[in-house]
Order: sequence, then structure tokens, then C-alpha cells
Amino acid sequence: MNVSQSFLDSKVLSRLLALPLNARQAMTGNVSGRHRSPVRGASIEFAQYRKYVPGDDTRRLDWRTWGRTDRFYIKEFEADTNLRLALIVDASGSMGFGEKDATRLNYSRKLGGTLGYLAAQQGDAVGLWGVGKGHRQKLPAKRGAGHLRIVLDQLARLEARGETTILESLHEAADQISQRALVVAISDFFIQPAKLKQALEHLRFRKHDVVLFHVMDQIELDFNFERPARFVDMEGGEIVMADPSLLQRRYKEVVKQYLAEMDNVIRTTGTDYHRVLMKEPYEDVLARFLLARLQSKGRR
Amino acid sequence: MSFLAPILLFGLPLALIPIIVHLIHLLRRKRVKWAAMMFLLLAQRTNKGLSKLRQYLILAFRVMAVAAIIFVVGRPLAGGLLGLTGGAPDSVIILLDRSASMEQQLLTTGTSKRTAGLRNLTAAIKDAYGKRSKLVLIDSASLQPVSLETADALLDIPQVGPTDTAADIPSLMQGALDYMTTNQTGRTDVWLVSDLRQTDWNPAGGRWAALRGAFATLQGVKFQVLTYAETQPSDLGISVEKIVRRETSDKAELLLDIRLKRGEPVAEPIQVPIVININGVTSTMKAELKGNQAFLQAQSIPIDKTTLRGWGSVQLPADTSPSDNLYHFVFDAPAPLKSVIVSTDGEVSTPLAAALNAPADSSRTYASSILPATRAAEITWEETSLIVWQEVVPDPESPVAKQLIAHVKAGRSLIFLPPTTPDDTAFAGLHWTKWGTAAGDKPSLASWWRSDAGLLSGTRAGSALPVGEVEVQRWCGLEGESVPFARLDETAEKAPLLVQASADDFRSTYFLTALPGSGQSSLARDGVVMFALLHRALNEGSASLGNAQQRTAGPRALGEDPGAWTRLDIENPESILPLDRPLRAGVLKRSAGAKSDLLIAINRPLTEDATLTLGKTTLDEVFAGLDWRLLERTLENEKSLTSEIWRTFLILMAILLILEALLCMPAPKTAAEFQSKPA
Repeated sequence: MNVSQSFLDSKVLSRLLALPLNARQAMTGNVSGRHRSPVRGASIEFAQYRKYVPGDDTRRLDWRTWGRTDRFYIKEFEADTNLRLALIVDASGSMGFGEKDATRLNYSRKLGGTLGYLAAQQGDAVGLWGVGKGHRQKLPAKRGAGHLRIVLDQLARLEARGETTILESLHEAADQISQRALVVAISDFFIQPAKLKQALEHLRFRKHDVVLFHVMDQIELDFNFERPARFVDMEGGEIVMADPSLLQRRYKEVVKQYLAEMDNVIRTTGTDYHRVLMKEPYEDVLARFLLARLQSKGRR
Repeated sequence: MSFLAPILLFGLPLALIPIIVHLIHLLRRKRVKWAAMMFLLLAQRTNKGLSKLRQYLILAFRVMAVAAIIFVVGRPLAGGLLGLTGGAPDSVIILLDRSASMEQQLLTTGTSKRTAGLRNLTAAIKDAYGKRSKLVLIDSASLQPVSLETADALLDIPQVGPTDTAADIPSLMQGALDYMTTNQTGRTDVWLVSDLRQTDWNPAGGRWAALRGAFATLQGVKFQVLTYAETQPSDLGISVEKIVRRETSDKAELLLDIRLKRGEPVAEPIQVPIVININGVTSTMKAELKGNQAFLQAQSIPIDKTTLRGWGSVQLPADTSPSDNLYHFVFDAPAPLKSVIVSTDGEVSTPLAAALNAPADSSRTYASSILPATRAAEITWEETSLIVWQEVVPDPESPVAKQLIAHVKAGRSLIFLPPTTPDDTAFAGLHWTKWGTAAGDKPSLASWWRSDAGLLSGTRAGSALPVGEVEVQRWCGLEGESVPFARLDETAEKAPLLVQASADDFRSTYFLTALPGSGQSSLARDGVVMFALLHRALNEGSASLGNAQQRTAGPRALGEDPGAWTRLDIENPESILPLDRPLRAGVLKRSAGAKSDLLIAINRPLTEDATLTLGKTTLDEVFAGLDWRLLERTLENEKSLTSEIWRTFLILMAILLILEALLCMPAPKTAAEFQSKPA
């Protein structure tokens, strides 16, 4: 595949290709693939015996067992299928935070684009939801190099503006993605954890494997400013005059409480949650993510 | 609180700089695009009250720190007491003790207590009050209030100069009270500078209670008592008690009775050199001092036979108290000691005349006559030293009464004895009431008498007069304000036996309430007390007669016209201002052209040699119920009444800056925990 998008690094891709992208649960794909399917199939991996019932395909009868026991048994094997990767990338105004070429959206592009590329390389379908108030790019998950190019192009064209609609997008994804899918949401999640919990429960109810990449900058955690400043909201334009030296302690307490609530939401919804600092190399983040997935390959 | 450089306080608006900087920062804040507004808004909402308070506190600390710096450079002053007075009062009255004892000085610097007190007080007033209060000086010598333009005047006006007088502190306080009530001085600080000598303060005197009561009724009066109570035990004082010119066929000499006194007894006898100056010719003698005093009786100083009158002095080597190192005297042929007894009762007049005619001093001539009141006009007033009046007190408007008043005002003695039928005519504020007799068979005895001073004081040898043995069968009651010298016991209801009139011009007027004679008292029978009493009064009265007189320094020592007198003992007599002449020790004569050839030696009152001072407890009693503070100073440690307190402000500024820094201190720059926990 020709990698034309500037946010993708071919060296990183080549290193990460050695690690498969696994789902934590069985997927329901429409073609054969490398992911477990909730139904029995024709792979070479033995699953179980079961008694023959009329109507079963006689080609699956295990004659050796009939010879030994004089009874008919059907031999079943595991079915492997492909997965659908739904990338939900927040493109609200707050995603534009950061230096000119190192914004949160840029970082998210790299994370999402690389994941999409890896998924496509192992034959999985890739879809994209680029969300922000007033603008939305929505591509359904499909297989093939051509579709991946479209996904990556759309990703490259995303602009950070408007208020966030990540909650609505998560609910919408839960409603619209009909089959089990790997839903990867990349955002700063500047929303109330309680509302996020509802969206995550919605996705879980639809049996999606949900992954959250929570991207933040260190200064958003520490609020380390030397002087008082006018803080302009990147989503609404509201201006707040504040003296960080007077406010920092309380700010940190608020952030700490928010993160604790997020932890609680993740624990109760069983979401695969990754906090990412923008100063971390995205390759490390993805490698850590993929390695963790290796150990918990999907159950039926 | 005041400032040495108050002009720098105009820089106080600079304290607003932190506020201005804060406002500028508000306007010029950097614009930051911020994504995590959710956290910021929540933090600000929940932190608003505390944050504002913290911000205001920081601003306040910065403003106060800058103000403290400006105060520091303005060199603030506070006198432990002055700094807290709550601003300058309307009036400041300075009461200055100008007694001779205030001239005690520090030998190394030559600074006297009076000078030190004035300097300290001047600085304190300038620092604490500036020109915001009206300044009034009342000194103990003149008792006249003097308004001062500035505090600096305290150092150079004549009313603060040295004197050889005694101080009457109650009169000084009375002067302040009179001034305050007359002029309605409003909130007033009264500064009293004194060395706390008991003889000057007379804390047991009855006037203090009245003064306390009067001051207590005034609002906003505060007393600051600046004291220099230290005494010098090794200080020597000298005085001449008697001067007699004696002439024999081959020589003439002056016989001087000289007394030396020391603050504390010496362990070993010491030799004290005494310089004697007679008519400008000096000689030196040595006296041995044992214990704390020596009495040199009839020290013979040869003089020329042609020297019939003159003046001189005895002088000790310089020590810390110059005022008691010098004693002046004058001599002349002594005047006869004339006395007149005005009485028609022979039983009374006879023993009196016998006592007064008996020569107590063989070198003097004694003459006593008896007259009835009707012949009082025959009295030779100008020659009589003592009048004993045992008749009805004359009507104040009568010529005789006026003569008697002139007699006592001239310093001559007058003793009233009760008449047979007393009436309520008063003299010097006192009048007889009625006769009383001792209760029971036994006569009344004197239960108390003053043995330290007055007509009944102890003898020269130090033993007391046998006043307690005087038996009194009848006495006459007395009413009016007086100074008691002797009092009878309970059987006579503690009636006075001998009193002195307390009015200023009538101090040589005495009232003896018992008569000599059988059935009256044992005054004539035992004789000693009556003899001493009469002769002391006679000697006192004679001091103002003759052409050579010894007087005590005081505003009236030279009569009504001090300018008519010239100092003989100094080279530049005009250097002493006329008003100061009766206040300073020296020898004076009338200026040229005067009819009289009178020589006067003025000396300090010997009470100024007493070194007893008032303690804190006594002062507490004296000022009981009044708002007063004691400021004790010594000549060695002349600590300023005010002190610079810039260090306090410096420390305050440091504290303020530390507090400001603590409030500004940001939270520790540790990275916030941002590790995701496994689901």
C-alpha cells in the first residue's frame, strides 16, 4: 500500500506490523479472517463434538467415532472472521490545543491512522467518524486498500473546530454499527464522566469492543503558568481571567477528581482505556496497546 | 509616633504601586487559548472566595510592605509612652523643679539634672508633639506660667536657669491646676521634671489630697513624671550656722560655726580642705570629717581690726553638687535683739519677759518690753525682732493690724498667745475659738511635735527638746489653715499647742495655744521649751534686721525690687538678671544711691542638702487615682524618651514580604498523576 499521508510514518508502521491488532472479544465479520467468530466454522482448530441431529451436514460426521461407538457425532471447528474497526476521532475546537504542528488532533490522526493502516493490513474493515459540532465525516467500515486511502484522506482533512459532539457520536455509533466491532474513540474527553458512562454502556450493550484513547497535554494537568492570563475557550470563545498561582492548587484538585471519576466509569463499563500524554511517542502508546491485546485475544 | 524625616512621608502614595501594577496586569494579561476550560471554570467557581481573599491579602501585604519601607526611611520615633498617646494633646504643661539639688551634675560632662531633663524633654516634645500642642512652662522658683513658642525655648529662656532655691512641688502642681482651670486647656499632658527630694515634695502634706481631687475632676489630663532621683553618697555640703566678729585689744577675728555634711558616712576619717574667702582674701583650712557630718564650732579667722563689716564665703572642692559646696555670709555689728510683749496679764508677761531678756548669746544685746495693746503704737517696728501678742487679735482694718502684717511680711516674728476672752477676729487666716481644760485631774501633755524643723526642732547637739514634758491645764482652741508644730494628747482632744500660719507671707506668725503661769501650763515652770521657742523666734525675726542679713534664696529674698541689688561676690554682677538675683546664692548690696547700707548673703535652703528621695510606692500614693507614668532616668544613662523604631518597621516589612511570598507560592511543580488504571 502506498502511504501518502504525511501523518503516517512508514518506519513506525513497519515496526508495528509485527504486532497483530486483536479484538478482546469475538467479532462477527463477513469474510474469513484472523479473529474469532461467535459461530462455529471450518477452520483447522478443533472446537468440540456434538450429537448428530437430522438436518446436519453428513460431511461433518466423524466416522472414526461412529466406528468405535456406533453412534453419530458431528465434529465442530472454530470459525475465524475479520473485524470492523470504527475509528471515532474527536475534531472539536479543543482538539486543536498544542503547538502548531503538534496539536492534539495531529496526535490523534497519527494514532487513528496507524491503527487503521494496521487493521487494513490484516484484512479488517476500517471506518471513520470524524466528529465536531457543525461538521462530521462518516465513513462506514469497509475492506480494501482503496477504502483505507479514503479513510486516511478524510482523517487528514479533519479540522479542529466547534464544540465537541463525542457523546452524541458514541451513542450514534452504538446505534448504527449493526455488528460487533472494535470501536476506538480518540478524544480529550472534556465531558462529564457520568455522561460518558452512559455512552460506554450503550456501546457495551451492543457488544462492541470499546477502546478509548484519552489524549491530554501535561500543562492541562498541571496548569503551570507563570503569570495571570486571559484564558480563551477553544470551543466556545468564553474568556476567563485567572491567576494560575492562586488557582493552581484548586485546579489540580478538580483534575484529580475528574480522573478518579473517569477511572470509576472505566472500571464499571469494562472499557479498554488509555491515557495518553501528547509528549509520549505515539508508537509507544500503540505498541503498549497492541501488546496488551495479544494477551487477551477475543473470546466467543 | 513622629518622624525625623517627615517630608519623606509624602512618598506614602507610592504604597499604591502594587495596586497600580495589579491593575496594569489585569489589562495586559497574556491571551492563552485553552482547551481544558471545564477544569478552569470549575476550579475558579469553587475557589472564588478564597482566591479573592488571597489576592486581596497579597495586595494588602504588598501595599503595607511598601508603606513600611517609606516609614523606615522617614525614621519613625516612638517613646515607649509617647508613641501610644494617641496624638498630640491640646496643651503640654511643663513643671520644672529648679531647686538647688537639681544642679547635681555628672562630672565627666558637666551636665546637671536640670539640663539633662530639659534636653531630654525638649527632644521628646519636638518628636512627639511637634508644634501641634500649646506649650506652657511653670518653674518652681517663680511659679509663673510662661507660654513657649517652640520646645527649643526650653533650653534658653531665663525661667529654666539654675537656682539655689527650694522647690515646693505641691505649689507647682497647684500652679498647673490653676492654669488649666483658668485657661480651659483641654486634653493636657503635664510633664514634671524633678529629682524627687522629699523636702521638696512633702508627700505627707495635706495639699496633695486636695490636688488629687481637683485633678481627678479634669478630663484628659495625663502626668508624665520625668525623674532624676539618683543621689551621690560621697557628696559634701557646707554651711555656716553662725558668724560672730570678736575684737580684743590686740586682734580682731571672725568666729564661724561651720557644718559639713556628707551623703553617707565615711569609713575612715577624711581631711576636707575648706577655702575661706573674706572680703576677697582667701585662706584654706582643713577639717576632719568622721561619719557623715562634722561641726566646726567658732573657727577663728583673723581679720583686720578696721574691718567692722564685710562678706565672705566658705567653699569645698568641686564635687557632683556644686550648689552645696559654697556658702556665703555677711557680718556686721549685730543688731540688738528687741522684743515686745503685748499683754496686760502680769502672770503671762513676766515669765515671757524674763525668758526674752536672758542672753542666749553673750555677744548679743537683748531688750524686751511689755506693753498693753492700747499702747501698741509705741512699738519701734523697725527695730523689733519679735512681738508676743497676748491680747485680743486686732481688727484687720486697724492701724495696729496693718503694722503687724507689715512686721511679719518683713520676715520678723510674731507669736500670738490666747487672750483671756477670745473672739473670732482672724489673723493670717487663723482665729481663737474658746478655752478648754484638761479632762480629769491630770494636765494634758504634748503628744506630738515636729523635731526636725521649726521652733521646736532638736538642739544643735542633736537631742530633742523636752516638749513631751510640758503640762497644759488650759488651752485655747484655734481654727484656720496652719502648719502644726506641736499637738496635745487625747485628754485635750489632740488640740494644737503650737502652729505656724500657712499663708505665704505670714510664715513668721505663730500661735501658741497655752499660756505660761500657774493654772495654765508648765511652760514657765520648766522653762526650757519656752526659752528655746522664744529665742528661736527672736533669732528668726532678727535675721531681717541689722545691716548684715542672711537670707534663703527665694523670689522674695530681695524684696519687691531685686534690680536694686548688686552682686558683690562675682566680677560681672550684671551677668545675673535682676529676676534671678534673689534666686541665686551670693552676696548682694543695694545699688549706689540707696539709703540703706544693707549687706545680704543669700544661700540655698539647708533642706536642699537632705538626700532622701521619694520611692515608687510614695509616688503611687501621691498620684493615686490620676493617669500618670514614671520615666526614670539617670545622668549616666540619659536614655532618650523617644527612640527610633525603624527596625520595627523593617521587621514588619520583612514579615509582610514573607507572608506575601507564602501566599504567592505556587503549588509544587510535580507532574500530575496521569496513569490509566486497568478496567
